Amino acid sequence: MKFVPERLEVAAGDRVTWINKDFVPHSVTSKEAGVESGDLKENARWTWTARTKGEMNYICRLHPLMKGSIVVK
Amino acid sequence: MNLRYFFSLLLLAPLLALAQGKPSDPQIAHIVVTANQIDIDAGKIAKSKSKNKEVQAFAQQMITDHSAVNKQAGALAKKLGVKPEDNDTSKALKKGAQQNVANLKKLSGAQFDKAYVAHEVDYHQQVLDAIDKVLIPSADNAELKGLIEKVRPAIQAHLDHAKHVQADLGKTGAKK
Repeated sequence: MKFVPERLEVAAGDRVTWINKDFVPHSVTSKEAGVESGDLKENARWTWTARTKGEMNYICRLHPLMKGSIVVK
Repeated sequence: MNLRYFFSLLLLAPLLALAQGKPSDPQIAHIVVTANQIDIDAGKIAKSKSKNKEVQAFAQQMITDHSAVNKQAGALAKKLGVKPEDNDTSKALKKGAQQNVANLKKLSGAQFDKAYVAHEVDYHQQVLDAIDKVLIPSADNAELKGLIEKVRPAIQAHLDHAKHVQADLGKTGAKK
């Protein structure tokens, strides 16, 4: 149960899509960056646009040990 | 014998029973549904009794995830025409769960939180062992085997999460 890849580098302006390949719901959540996908059910997709340069660390709100990061260059 | 060790032994007994004979697919389906329902029920008790936010969140996750597993298991059983069949392992699991519930109902506050989470750690470890040693090797139907393999990472994540909550509860206790 993890984000794949756990770390991703993108350019500012890129759109990043998460797809929940698991059968339990997950979320993409970063309180720090004000990012919240809401609960994503199996096969649900959620897209986020990388606007601010820097690193965004995020978790699954439902499974807080699931962690990921996006580096916006 | 401390309480945690005692309850670990209680849990171990039904799961060891699994190893004594290869369960059939209908029995495996019943064991999967029973094992999930037990953790949903324990989660509901924790949601109503615990005042600790981290424990409450963990309990809600158990309810959500194990309900999702059971939904998948029910749909697969229907698709395959497998009628879950009660068996000694399911009965033993239920008996162990009744003892856990009886114990939890007597406790409150920090004692409840610690007992619930300690049991969740032990339970998920035993379920993981059963998945690896008995359920996956015994499942004949490829889709049933696939479902159990798909469930395994969630059980591992629950075990890791339960250990994390347990460590946090230990820190809270140390501060007092």
